[in-house]
Amino acid sequence: MTQKTKPRKAPGEGSAVLPVSLLLAVLVPLLLMPLAAVFVFAFRGGFKDFLSALTAEDAQFALRFSLLIAFLTAAVNAVLGTFAAYVLAKYRFPGKKPLTIAVNLPVAIPTVVVGTSLLLLWGPIGLLGKALAPLGFSPMFAPAGVLLAHLFVTFPYMLGAVKPLLDELEVTYEEAAYTLGAGKWQTFRYVILPALRGGLFSGTLLTFAHSLGEFGATVMVSGNLRLRTQTAPLFIFAQFEAGNVEKANAVAAVLAALSFAIFFFLLRWSGPAGGRTQGH
Amino acid sequence: MSIVLDRLSKRFGSQTVVSRVSLEIEDGELFVLLGASGSGKSTVLRLIAGLSVPDSGTIQLRGRDVTDLAPQEREIGFVFQNYSIFRHMSVAENIEFPLKIRRVPAAERTRRREELLDLVGLGGLGGRYAHQLSGGQQQRVALARSLAHKPSVLLLDEPFGALDVKIRGQLRRNLREIQQKLKVTAILVTHDQEEGFELADRVGLMDRGALLEVGHPETLYAKPRTLFGATFLGAGTVLVGRARGNEARLGDLALPIPPEVEHEEGSRVRVLFRPEQVELGTAQPAEGAEAGRHPLGKGEIVEQSFLGALRRLRVRLPPIPGTRQAAPAPYGEEGLLVDVVQPAEEPLPGPEVWVSLRGWHILAPPRPRLLICALPAPAAYPPVLPHLVEAVDAVPILLAVDEDGDEKGTEELRTAVLERAAAGGSGALDGAEVLVRRGDPAAEIGSEQAQSLYDFVVLSGATGPVVGGLLDRLSTALLVLRGDKPTLQRILICTAVGEPGKADVRVGGWLARRLGAEVTLLHVNVRIGGLGGPPEPWVQSHLDRGVATLRALEVKSRSTIRRARTPAEGILAEAAEGQYDLIVMGRHAPRRGPLFGAKSADITLRILAGTKTSMLIVPADE
Repeated sequence: MTQKTKPRKAPGEGSAVLPVSLLLAVLVPLLLMPLAAVFVFAFRGGFKDFLSALTAEDAQFALRFSLLIAFLTAAVNAVLGTFAAYVLAKYRFPGKKPLTIAVNLPVAIPTVVVGTSLLLLWGPIGLLGKALAPLGFSPMFAPAGVLLAHLFVTFPYMLGAVKPLLDELEVTYEEAAYTLGAGKWQTFRYVILPALRGGLFSGTLLTFAHSLGEFGATVMVSGNLRLRTQTAPLFIFAQFEAGNVEKANAVAAVLAALSFAIFFFLLRWSGPAGGRTQGH
Repeated sequence: MSIVLDRLSKRFGSQTVVSRVSLEIEDGELFVLLGASGSGKSTVLRLIAGLSVPDSGTIQLRGRDVTDLAPQEREIGFVFQNYSIFRHMSVAENIEFPLKIRRVPAAERTRRREELLDLVGLGGLGGRYAHQLSGGQQQRVALARSLAHKPSVLLLDEPFGALDVKIRGQLRRNLREIQQKLKVTAILVTHDQEEGFELADRVGLMDRGALLEVGHPETLYAKPRTLFGATFLGAGTVLVGRARGNEARLGDLALPIPPEVEHEEGSRVRVLFRPEQVELGTAQPAEGAEAGRHPLGKGEIVEQSFLGALRRLRVRLPPIPGTRQAAPAPYGEEGLLVDVVQPAEEPLPGPEVWVSLRGWHILAPPRPRLLICALPAPAAYPPVLPHLVEAVDAVPILLAVDEDGDEKGTEELRTAVLERAAAGGSGALDGAEVLVRRGDPAAEIGSEQAQSLYDFVVLSGATGPVVGGLLDRLSTALLVLRGDKPTLQRILICTAVGEPGKADVRVGGWLARRLGAEVTLLHVNVRIGGLGGPPEPWVQSHLDRGVATLRALEVKSRSTIRRARTPAEGILAEAAEGQYDLIVMGRHAPRRGPLFGAKSADITLRILAGTKTSMLIVPADE
């Protein structure tokens, strides 16, 4: 072979300058500038203004309420989602397929629609609401309603994180534990749960993050009551509408920072050095 | 006795995966369950472990009935094919797991763990995780873990299945050593015949859910009872000949049948010879059993392959009259194929060779197959049926004929039939195959019989027309069960119809021996015009010969002669007086000509209508 040919390069071997700069050209206005803008606008009036905006009573309430709801949502759905994943992965029963589709549906429905249907069900003139109101339980336009909406909207995240792991976990691991003397609960506690911990962690964080940012369903069911049912995203929207851009931006910056932190953990955990890949 | 299984059966839906498996395993024995995939061998292991619940039967471990206990309470060790080592635990934690569950103190746990790691040859690897181990090492961890709590029984499900051949051999020897050192009773499941032979104290051979044969590997190889055993445990040729006297005839070749092999005159006999029992020669061997060699014939070599130390040859012989091939499968082949192995260094003989046998083995006669049909489907089975099936050691096949067409789904009907079968209680019908057909009962039973050739057709709840229709169609014995007596103790064999038959005495006698029943042999002396004369002298001699035949079968019997206007009348009178449980009648070929046509069927049907006794109708000898 004496003929000189230009050496062919496999993708990834050539110069990265052109494709990377093209990508950046698209991403900067689309993703990166908006992310930066939150912080830029938050601190435009200086750190002192930022702090005073943040320490205002209504801003404080909105942030604390959002965090509380997010914690509760994550906790409840961690248990409920794992249980649902376990049942759907391990048992065979009629109607399993439609049920699997139904529990995954909340990600596909617009959140405003979720809010509307919750109102129609639990609201003062709703199907369940009408029956429960005389008993003193009316969750709509109350913190309980916000929790209900968040549980609904974030339900599929836990399921999606845990069920694939359970599907992969062959039934012989459970059976091995049984033959070694472990009861059902011990088997779940020492064999199944540890095998799921990666999915449990990422599912919980995802649920938490989504709850923190939930807007569409919350705005419908909460009534957006200041110092009562107003979550941080609702607070941001309300302040922005009222023209208090600094107040809105201060809370937005905190929310954004929290989200960054959560996704940082998520990436660390499920990345190549994370615990999930161990054993594969 | 470490493990005792008693008539264990398991179905998945209508599919029987384990069928009446009974087995006893001694303390310290290594028992290998051998079978093809889907034979039910792994299910037996799972039943013993409690990971699956039997539909019927019992399991005893160390004298304790564990049938209803959870796996946790059975104190067993189980090694899975995929090892199932917990990935989030280190090797040490895996091995300590059963001890931790049992709240064994930490110091004791550590001591036991180190002991086990040394035993399986993994000392110093306690800190590793599963993904840091090779397949062979994982297998050893699984073994160590399964032994940690000192189980009384060790169960291994294809433990070497996922490993390559070289490691397999080594691990096999290690397992054998460990098992003998600990004297733990073990059952190992495998499809690998070589593995079974190398490891086992005894081998159990499974096929389609049934445990066919149990024995020492060498005995099973040399003297299998079944065709499946003969072909699954190594190569060999099985030829089917006929029994004449005490010899099996394969053309001109006569091989003595050993006394322990039950056989009937003229019945089929299956002869097995292993490749190493066949000798090839260029010259015709001397006639007679010269040095124990039996000449089979002259053939040509059609295949040969070199296996290292050995050479495998296949020889085709021209067809031998009255001889059929059962193995190797004679697909599209008119001649007989004989497999031979020789030491490879022996020169290949010419294309034409003389084949003679150095040794052979005669297989046990196959278990009789009963086609059982209770009408109308799904009907309860008569109480005597389980007793009958057990007494003759039969393979029951349940046929449900749905007369009304699509009233019930096939699966539904199958389930209903199995429920009825299980309702008998004794378990004899558990795990029986169930067939479902639609249409006219006589026609459907007839065509099922024609397709699969059962030895008996057993009918209950049948009406006259159905029996009549079947008599026209069947060429096998038909047993019509009636009433709800739990046993058949008194049998009446009628030699009244036509010539006193031989078949009815033989089949009736065979059944009587299995059932432990008493036989009365009846001849009806037909009076003509109301005049009674003494019976013809040949009648008495026929009866005497019949009684002699029965005596040879060790059946208690007597003979009697009745006078009557017609044979049917005489039989009915005897049946009414004698309180028989079963009437056996001979039958000639189905309707032939207009003159004799329908005669035998008519008598049978008249007796069927005139009594409530069960009847066995036996076709006459050809």
